Amino acid sequence: MLEISLHILDIVENSTRAGAKTVSIDIIEDTERDVLSLEIRDDGSGMSEDVLRRVIDPFFTTKTVRSVGLGLPMLAQAAERADGRFIIESKGGEGTRVAADFKLSHIDRQPLGDISATLVTLVAGNKDIDIIYRHEHNGQTYIFDTREIKKELEDIPINHVTVLNFIRSHITEGLKEIGAEA
Amino acid sequence: MDLESIVKALNLKVRSGEDKLKAEIRGGYTGDLLSDVMANSKEGDVWITRQVHQNIVAVASLKEHAGIILVHGNEPAKDTLEKAVKGGVPIMVSDLPGFEVIGRLYALMSKTG
Ligand SMILES: Nc1ncnc2c1ncn2[C@@H]1O[C@H](COP(=O)(O)OP(=O)(O)OP(=O)(O)O)[C@@H](O)[C@H]1O
Ligand SMILES: [Mg+2]
Repeated sequence: MLEISLHILDIVENSTRAGAKTVSIDIIEDTERDVLSLEIRDDGSGMSEDVLRRVIDPFFTTKTVRSVGLGLPMLAQAAERADGRFIIESKGGEGTRVAADFKLSHIDRQPLGDISATLVTLVAGNKDIDIIYRHEHNGQTYIFDTREIKKELEDIPINHVTVLNFIRSHITEGLKEIGAEA
Repeated sequence: MDLESIVKALNLKVRSGEDKLKAEIRGGYTGDLLSDVMANSKEGDVWITRQVHQNIVAVASLKEHAGIILVHGNEPAKDTLEKAVKGGVPIMVSDLPGFEVIGRLYALMSKTG
Protein backbone atom coordinates (compact mmCIF):
# COMPACT_ATOMS: atom_id res chain seq x y z
CA MET A 1 0.00 0.00 0.00
CA LEU A 2 1.38 3.38 -0.95
CA GLU A 3 -0.67 5.24 1.63
CA ILE A 4 -2.05 4.61 5.09
CA SER A 5 -5.50 5.68 3.87
CA LEU A 6 -5.62 2.57 1.68
CA HIS A 7 -5.07 0.46 4.78
CA ILE A 8 -7.97 2.32 6.39
CA LEU A 9 -10.26 1.30 3.51
CA ASP A 10 -9.12 -2.28 3.91
CA ILE A 11 -9.55 -2.48 7.67
CA VAL A 12 -12.95 -0.78 7.63
CA GLU A 13 -14.06 -3.29 4.99
CA ASN A 14 -13.40 -5.98 7.60
CA SER A 15 -15.64 -4.08 10.03
CA THR A 16 -18.50 -3.73 7.58
CA ARG A 17 -18.20 -7.40 6.67
CA ALA A 18 -18.47 -8.16 10.38
CA GLY A 19 -21.80 -6.34 10.45
CA ALA A 20 -20.63 -3.25 12.35
CA LYS A 21 -23.15 -0.45 12.88
CA THR A 22 -20.58 2.06 14.08
CA VAL A 23 -16.94 2.42 13.07
CA SER A 24 -14.56 4.86 14.75
CA ILE A 25 -11.33 5.90 13.10
CA ASP A 26 -8.79 7.83 15.17
CA ILE A 27 -5.59 9.39 13.89
CA ILE A 28 -3.08 11.06 16.16
CA GLU A 29 -0.11 12.98 14.84
CA ASP A 30 2.26 13.86 17.65
CA THR A 31 5.40 15.60 16.48
CA GLU A 32 6.97 15.77 19.92
CA ARG A 33 6.65 12.03 20.57
CA ASP A 34 7.37 11.41 16.89
CA VAL A 35 4.37 9.11 16.56
CA LEU A 36 1.58 8.69 14.07
CA SER A 37 -1.11 6.41 15.39
CA LEU A 38 -4.14 4.89 13.75
CA GLU A 39 -6.93 3.17 15.60
CA ILE A 40 -10.07 1.63 14.15
CA ARG A 41 -12.83 0.30 16.39
CA ASP A 42 -16.04 -1.41 15.41
CA ASP A 43 -19.07 -2.96 17.07
CA GLY A 44 -19.25 -5.86 14.63
CA SER A 45 -19.38 -9.57 15.37
CA GLY A 46 -15.83 -9.68 16.74
CA MET A 47 -13.67 -12.79 16.70
CA SER A 48 -13.08 -15.81 18.84
CA GLU A 49 -9.70 -16.10 20.54
CA ASP A 50 -8.76 -18.80 18.10
CA VAL A 51 -9.44 -16.60 15.06
CA LEU A 52 -7.76 -13.61 16.72
CA ARG A 53 -4.55 -15.58 17.17
CA ARG A 54 -4.42 -16.31 13.47
CA VAL A 55 -5.34 -12.99 11.82
CA ILE A 56 -1.74 -11.85 11.35
CA ASP A 57 -1.07 -15.00 9.38
CA PRO A 58 -1.42 -14.02 5.70
CA PHE A 59 -2.76 -17.50 4.95
CA PHE A 60 -5.69 -17.04 7.28
CA THR A 61 -9.03 -15.76 6.00
CA THR A 62 -12.68 -16.59 6.46
CA LYS A 63 -13.39 -15.36 2.94
CA THR A 64 -14.34 -18.28 0.73
CA VAL A 65 -13.29 -16.80 -2.61
CA ARG A 66 -9.58 -17.05 -1.90
CA SER A 67 -7.08 -18.61 0.42
CA VAL A 68 -5.16 -15.60 1.70
CA GLY A 69 -6.15 -12.67 3.91
CA LEU A 70 -3.73 -9.79 3.60
CA GLY A 71 -5.56 -6.79 5.05
CA LEU A 72 -4.31 -7.09 8.63
CA PRO A 73 -0.90 -8.67 7.82
CA MET A 74 -0.07 -5.80 5.46
CA LEU A 75 -0.97 -3.15 8.03
CA ALA A 76 1.04 -4.99 10.66
CA GLN A 77 4.02 -5.13 8.32
CA ALA A 78 3.70 -1.43 7.44
CA ALA A 79 3.76 -0.48 11.12
CA GLU A 80 6.76 -2.70 11.87
CA ARG A 81 8.62 -1.29 8.89
CA ALA A 82 8.23 2.22 10.33
CA ASP A 83 9.44 1.29 13.82
CA GLY A 84 5.87 1.02 15.08
CA ARG A 85 3.58 -1.54 16.61
CA PHE A 86 0.43 -3.34 15.62
CA ILE A 87 -2.24 -4.37 18.10
CA ILE A 88 -5.53 -6.13 17.56
CA GLU A 89 -8.10 -6.89 20.23
CA SER A 90 -11.47 -8.47 19.72
CA LYS A 91 -14.30 -10.10 21.59
CA GLY A 92 -16.92 -12.33 20.02
CA GLY A 93 -20.24 -10.48 19.99
CA GLU A 94 -18.72 -7.16 21.02
CA GLY A 95 -16.38 -5.82 18.38
CA THR A 96 -12.83 -5.29 17.34
CA ARG A 97 -10.06 -2.76 17.87
CA VAL A 98 -7.15 -2.47 15.48
CA ALA A 99 -4.31 -0.11 16.35
CA ALA A 100 -1.15 0.66 14.40
CA ASP A 101 1.62 3.05 15.42
CA PHE A 102 4.25 4.44 13.11
CA LYS A 103 7.34 6.47 13.84
CA LEU A 104 6.24 9.77 12.31
CA SER A 105 9.66 10.71 10.94
CA HIS A 106 10.62 7.21 9.76
CA ILE A 107 11.80 7.32 6.17
CA ASP A 108 9.76 4.24 5.26
CA ARG A 109 6.52 5.44 6.83
CA GLN A 110 3.83 5.78 4.19
CA PRO A 111 2.11 9.13 3.88
CA LEU A 112 -1.39 9.26 5.29
CA GLY A 113 -2.84 9.86 1.86
CA ASP A 114 -6.13 11.41 0.84
CA ILE A 115 -8.27 11.19 3.97
CA SER A 116 -11.24 13.14 2.61
CA ALA A 117 -11.48 10.90 -0.47
CA THR A 118 -11.15 7.83 1.75
CA LEU A 119 -13.94 8.91 4.08
CA VAL A 120 -16.17 9.92 1.18
CA THR A 121 -15.67 6.45 -0.32
CA LEU A 122 -16.56 4.85 3.00
CA VAL A 123 -19.66 6.99 3.51
CA ALA A 124 -20.80 6.51 -0.09
CA GLY A 125 -20.54 2.75 0.15
CA ASN A 126 -21.95 2.32 3.66
CA LYS A 127 -24.81 4.75 4.16
CA ASP A 128 -26.32 2.81 7.05
CA ILE A 129 -23.11 2.62 9.04
CA ASP A 130 -22.10 5.45 11.33
CA ILE A 131 -18.54 6.60 10.84
CA ILE A 132 -16.75 8.74 13.36
CA TYR A 133 -13.40 10.15 12.31
CA ARG A 134 -11.22 11.89 14.84
CA HIS A 135 -7.93 13.49 13.85
CA GLU A 136 -5.61 15.04 16.39
CA HIS A 137 -2.57 17.04 15.37
CA ASN A 138 -0.32 18.24 18.19
CA GLY A 139 -3.26 18.79 20.50
CA GLN A 140 -5.68 20.26 17.97
CA THR A 141 -8.61 18.05 17.03
CA TYR A 142 -10.95 17.69 14.08
CA ILE A 143 -13.99 15.42 14.31
CA PHE A 144 -16.22 14.17 11.53
CA ASP A 145 -19.32 12.27 12.63
CA THR A 146 -21.94 10.93 10.23
CA ARG A 147 -24.49 10.83 13.10
CA GLU A 148 -24.35 14.63 13.33
CA ILE A 149 -24.73 14.99 9.59
CA LYS A 150 -27.62 12.54 9.40
CA LYS A 151 -29.44 14.54 12.09
CA GLU A 152 -29.27 17.64 9.92
CA LEU A 153 -30.18 15.86 6.72
CA GLU A 154 -33.56 14.44 7.74
CA ASP A 155 -34.83 12.82 4.52
CA ILE A 156 -31.87 13.24 2.20
CA PRO A 157 -29.65 10.13 2.11
CA ILE A 158 -26.09 10.75 3.27
CA ASN A 159 -24.69 9.21 0.08
CA HIS A 160 -26.40 11.84 -2.08
CA VAL A 161 -23.78 13.45 -4.31
CA THR A 162 -24.36 16.96 -2.93
CA VAL A 163 -23.89 15.69 0.61
CA LEU A 164 -20.76 13.79 -0.36
CA ASN A 165 -19.30 16.93 -1.91
CA PHE A 166 -20.10 18.83 1.27
CA ILE A 167 -18.45 16.12 3.34
CA ARG A 168 -15.35 16.17 1.21
CA SER A 169 -14.81 19.90 1.62
CA HIS A 170 -15.74 19.81 5.32
CA ILE A 171 -12.99 17.26 5.95
CA THR A 172 -10.43 18.97 3.73
CA GLU A 173 -11.07 22.30 5.49
CA GLY A 174 -11.11 20.75 8.94
CA LEU A 175 -7.79 19.00 8.45
CA LYS A 176 -6.24 22.18 7.09
CA GLU A 177 -7.42 24.06 10.17
CA ILE A 178 -5.67 21.71 12.59
CA GLY A 179 -2.58 21.72 10.38
CA ALA A 180 -2.66 17.98 9.65
CA GLU A 181 0.53 17.16 7.78
CA ALA A 182 1.35 13.44 7.91
CA MET B 1 12.45 -21.19 -19.84
CA ASP B 2 12.05 -22.91 -16.48
CA LEU B 3 13.21 -22.02 -12.98
CA GLU B 4 15.85 -24.70 -13.00
CA SER B 5 17.75 -23.06 -15.87
CA ILE B 6 17.63 -19.73 -14.06
CA VAL B 7 18.91 -21.30 -10.87
CA LYS B 8 21.86 -22.71 -12.82
CA ALA B 9 22.60 -19.62 -14.89
CA LEU B 10 22.48 -17.21 -11.95
CA ASN B 11 23.84 -19.64 -9.40
CA LEU B 12 20.86 -19.19 -7.09
CA LYS B 13 20.46 -21.00 -3.79
CA VAL B 14 17.12 -22.76 -3.57
CA ARG B 15 15.49 -22.48 -0.14
CA SER B 16 12.06 -23.99 -0.83
CA GLY B 17 9.89 -25.48 -3.55
CA GLU B 18 12.68 -27.71 -4.97
CA ASP B 19 10.04 -29.88 -6.67
CA LYS B 20 8.56 -26.92 -8.55
CA LEU B 21 11.67 -25.91 -10.48
CA LYS B 22 10.45 -27.41 -13.73
CA ALA B 23 7.70 -24.80 -13.84
CA GLU B 24 7.68 -22.67 -16.95
CA ILE B 25 8.35 -18.96 -16.36
CA ARG B 26 6.17 -16.63 -18.36
CA GLY B 27 7.68 -13.33 -17.32
CA GLY B 28 9.16 -11.39 -14.45
CA TYR B 29 8.13 -8.70 -12.03
CA THR B 30 10.15 -6.56 -9.64
CA GLY B 31 8.88 -4.71 -6.61
CA ASP B 32 8.91 -4.46 -2.84
CA LEU B 33 5.47 -2.95 -2.44
CA LEU B 34 3.03 -5.82 -1.99
CA SER B 35 -0.04 -3.97 -3.21
CA ASP B 36 1.81 -3.02 -6.39
CA VAL B 37 2.93 -6.59 -6.98
CA MET B 38 -0.62 -7.80 -6.36
CA ALA B 39 -2.00 -5.31 -8.85
CA ASN B 40 0.55 -5.63 -11.64
CA SER B 41 2.37 -8.96 -11.63
CA LYS B 42 1.05 -11.92 -13.59
CA GLU B 43 0.57 -15.62 -13.19
CA GLY B 44 3.77 -17.50 -14.01
CA ASP B 45 6.02 -14.52 -13.26
CA VAL B 46 9.20 -14.88 -11.31
CA TRP B 47 9.12 -12.17 -8.66
CA ILE B 48 12.35 -10.41 -7.72
CA THR B 49 12.29 -8.62 -4.37
CA ARG B 50 14.26 -7.92 -1.24
CA GLN B 51 11.29 -8.25 1.09
CA VAL B 52 11.65 -11.27 3.35
CA HIS B 53 8.39 -11.02 5.33
CA GLN B 54 5.98 -13.97 5.26
CA ASN B 55 3.43 -11.83 3.43
CA ILE B 56 5.46 -12.34 0.21
CA VAL B 57 4.56 -16.04 0.19
CA ALA B 58 0.86 -15.21 0.39
CA VAL B 59 1.17 -12.74 -2.47
CA ALA B 60 3.14 -15.20 -4.62
CA SER B 61 0.64 -17.95 -4.04
CA LEU B 62 -2.35 -15.67 -4.63
CA LYS B 63 -0.85 -14.49 -7.92
CA GLU B 64 0.39 -17.99 -8.82
CA HIS B 65 3.94 -16.83 -9.41
CA ALA B 66 6.50 -19.37 -10.61
CA GLY B 67 8.75 -18.38 -7.71
CA ILE B 68 10.44 -15.64 -5.70
CA ILE B 69 14.06 -14.51 -5.99
CA LEU B 70 15.46 -12.67 -2.97
CA VAL B 71 18.33 -10.39 -3.86
CA HIS B 72 21.47 -9.05 -2.22
CA GLY B 73 21.91 -12.08 0.00
CA ASN B 74 18.65 -11.60 1.87
CA GLU B 75 17.40 -14.84 3.38
CA PRO B 76 13.70 -15.56 3.95
CA ALA B 77 12.56 -14.98 7.55
CA LYS B 78 11.87 -18.17 9.53
CA ASP B 79 8.08 -18.05 9.22
CA THR B 80 8.45 -17.04 5.56
CA LEU B 81 10.42 -20.18 4.86
CA GLU B 82 7.97 -22.36 6.77
CA LYS B 83 5.04 -20.95 4.79
CA ALA B 84 6.92 -21.37 1.51
CA VAL B 85 7.82 -24.99 2.23
CA LYS B 86 4.25 -25.76 3.24
CA GLY B 87 2.72 -23.96 0.27
CA GLY B 88 5.27 -25.26 -2.23
CA VAL B 89 6.38 -21.79 -3.27
CA PRO B 90 9.95 -21.74 -4.63
CA ILE B 91 12.18 -19.19 -2.90
CA MET B 92 15.63 -18.66 -4.35
CA VAL B 93 18.39 -16.45 -3.04
CA SER B 94 21.08 -14.51 -4.89
CA ASP B 95 24.05 -12.68 -3.42
CA LEU B 96 23.97 -10.17 -6.24
CA PRO B 97 22.23 -6.80 -5.88
CA GLY B 98 18.78 -6.52 -7.47
CA PHE B 99 19.96 -4.48 -10.42
CA GLU B 100 22.35 -7.23 -11.52
CA VAL B 101 19.94 -10.09 -10.90
CA ILE B 102 17.27 -8.39 -12.98
CA GLY B 103 19.69 -7.41 -15.74
CA ARG B 104 21.06 -10.93 -16.12
CA LEU B 105 17.62 -12.47 -15.94
CA TYR B 106 16.26 -10.10 -18.52
CA ALA B 107 19.10 -10.82 -20.93
CA LEU B 108 18.70 -14.55 -20.39
CA MET B 109 14.96 -14.54 -20.89
CA SER B 110 14.97 -12.33 -23.97
CA LYS B 111 17.58 -14.57 -25.56
CA THR B 112 15.76 -17.85 -25.03
CA GLY B 113 12.19 -16.54 -24.99
N1 LIG C 1 -13.19 -6.15 12.35
C1 LIG C 1 -13.32 -7.50 12.26
N2 LIG C 1 -14.38 -8.13 12.84
C2 LIG C 1 -14.51 -9.48 12.75
N3 LIG C 1 -13.63 -10.28 12.10
C3 LIG C 1 -12.56 -9.72 11.50
C4 LIG C 1 -12.35 -8.31 11.55
N4 LIG C 1 -11.19 -8.04 10.88
C5 LIG C 1 -10.73 -9.22 10.44
N5 LIG C 1 -11.53 -10.24 10.79
C6 LIG C 1 -11.31 -11.69 10.50
O1 LIG C 1 -9.94 -11.85 10.20
C7 LIG C 1 -9.76 -12.39 8.89
C8 LIG C 1 -8.52 -11.81 8.27
O2 LIG C 1 -8.68 -10.42 7.97
P1 LIG C 1 -7.79 -9.74 6.85
O3 LIG C 1 -8.27 -8.36 6.62
O4 LIG C 1 -6.36 -9.91 7.22
O5 LIG C 1 -8.04 -10.63 5.56
P2 LIG C 1 -9.41 -10.81 4.76
O6 LIG C 1 -10.33 -9.68 5.08
O7 LIG C 1 -9.89 -12.19 5.02
O8 LIG C 1 -8.92 -10.72 3.25
P3 LIG C 1 -8.39 -9.37 2.51
O9 LIG C 1 -8.32 -8.28 3.54
O10 LIG C 1 -7.05 -9.74 1.98
O11 LIG C 1 -9.39 -9.08 1.46
C9 LIG C 1 -11.06 -12.09 8.16
O12 LIG C 1 -11.30 -13.02 7.14
C10 LIG C 1 -12.08 -12.14 9.28
O13 LIG C 1 -12.48 -13.48 9.53
MG1 LIG D 1 -9.61 -7.65 5.02
